[in-house]
Amino acid sequence: MKNVKGIFRGFTGVRPKARSTIQSSALKENATGFLFLLPALIVLGLFLFIPAMMSLYYSFTDYYMLTPDLTEFIGLENFRTLLSDATFRTSVGNIFQFVLFIMPIQVGTALGLALLVNRSRRGTMFYKIAYFSPVVMSLVVVSVLWLYILNPASGLLNEILQTIGLPAQPFLSSPNQAMYVIIFVSAWQGAGYQMLIFLAGLQNIPEEVYEASTIDGANKWQQFLNVTLPMLKPTSLLILTTTLIDAFKLIIQPMVMTQGGPLNSTLTPVYYIFRTGFTDRQIGFASALTVMYGGIIIIFTVLQRKFVGGDKNE
Amino acid sequence: MNNKTTSFLYHFLSILLAILFIFPLIWMLVSSMKPEAAIYSDMGSLEAFLPSMNVSEWLMPYREIFNRFNIIRYLGNSIFYALSVTAGSIIINSLAGYAFATIDFKGKKLLFGLMIALLVIPGETIIITKFVITERLGILNTPLAVILPLLATPLYIYMFTIFFRAISTELQEAAMLEGATKFKIYWKIMLPMSKPAIATVGTLSFIMSWNDYIWPLMVLTDSETYPLQVAITNINNTQPVYTNQVMAILTISTIPLILIYVFFQKHLVQGLSSSGTGVK
Repeated sequence: MKNVKGIFRGFTGVRPKARSTIQSSALKENATGFLFLLPALIVLGLFLFIPAMMSLYYSFTDYYMLTPDLTEFIGLENFRTLLSDATFRTSVGNIFQFVLFIMPIQVGTALGLALLVNRSRRGTMFYKIAYFSPVVMSLVVVSVLWLYILNPASGLLNEILQTIGLPAQPFLSSPNQAMYVIIFVSAWQGAGYQMLIFLAGLQNIPEEVYEASTIDGANKWQQFLNVTLPMLKPTSLLILTTTLIDAFKLIIQPMVMTQGGPLNSTLTPVYYIFRTGFTDRQIGFASALTVMYGGIIIIFTVLQRKFVGGDKNE
Repeated sequence: MNNKTTSFLYHFLSILLAILFIFPLIWMLVSSMKPEAAIYSDMGSLEAFLPSMNVSEWLMPYREIFNRFNIIRYLGNSIFYALSVTAGSIIINSLAGYAFATIDFKGKKLLFGLMIALLVIPGETIIITKFVITERLGILNTPLAVILPLLATPLYIYMFTIFFRAISTELQEAAMLEGATKFKIYWKIMLPMSKPAIATVGTLSFIMSWNDYIWPLMVLTDSETYPLQVAITNINNTQPVYTNQVMAILTISTIPLILIYVFFQKHLVQGLSSSGTGVK
């Protein structure tokens, strides 16, 4: 860092007469630009770019953290193992189940809440705060809190169910229910934030458009279908795509609430990467998982950008 | 008549949803303000949503958990990590954004393209090799391991770049004619003019650091260095577990975020929707 600064001073302080000002100022610009970028480059390089490249490299090796010296290049062996790995397949199946359900539930709820709040005059602030309240809790807090509410034996929810005459449920201890519970808790936590974004989108729709459609004789439902929804398209696409990418990265809720169980029914790919790489120290195999699953997410991200942002110029 | 029915339905639905969304937060709060036994004896009645009738019992679970665990330490760690990340992220991301927005240097297009490409890498999937790097740097189990990786984010650099590009160049040119250095222009003119961008990036960075869980769990082994999020699951797994004490630590971890959201809500929505239209 100091060295680079020295070079920089060299450029600016001593200005040889022979060199044209234009050239030296261009050099100066190069050095300045580079210096301004340096801290970000170091951080992004060390913790994003290099790890990504390392994952790619290690995915072809049998790197075991405790015996790094015995690491050998094994070609596509990890990927062959991975393709026949039942646990990986289960985890991918689980995440697609999660994505498939969370998308309509969370985004639909968010839109519904925004419409409700946008419409009612009295008590809007109270409703807004109530719907938003789960957002202020971290995922760890939310997961631990629901763990207590959903406790099959002594939890609040079963107590309520039994009070209104319904049978108690096993919730997280059932392989059939656990993932749906996680979907519900995640949607419950995230909907309030997206409600605010939808609300901003709704308030950007000019009043005249509604007035015009009323004059044309449209009823509320037609108005919603033909005015509100089309005008909300950019907002909706933004929300849908961020939800999609975020959903693929699910790990904290299953880690805290179910440890991936029961019977791996809530094990997600990122959680599986964590287990093989961190708990079992199989860096090589975990890297192959990273490349495979990270690749899937990247494909989805790029497709989504192509699909959503056709007019992007950067 | 018909109008009244719809209005009633709307309010009924609104209230029902409001209860669904807010009851866990209220239950968490009141359960942290009553004796352990009362949580379970109250459960069948509406008293489950009221704190202890005896005001002197309100702080008891807090006192007990402060005695059992070094909560002050965890809270201090979380605040220290979050403030360091906030300050560092504002400075580092804005420096980079400034370079991309106003300085013409060789390789700028390439670097900017590379940064946009980095945006698609899902950070959560590369935690293993990120851990290997952190270990080789010799910073495992230090605050640096928690703070450093959060200091630069392609999205925030992009947000600053867009913001700086929109600032008129007249002031900068005038300052340049008077011999101000690029850094001086950045520090004295650009930063003070970008309070909205700073507020957005700062708030998002603070929340990101405060809620960070998986990474600190991986790189910190000494419980003295734990942030609150890691301490919470640790406490929840340390026998004996008392529900009222767990609810107390959950509440302690949530209060700072409530304050952040109350004071910076505007910037969060602005940040997200504006960055959204920017990326679109």
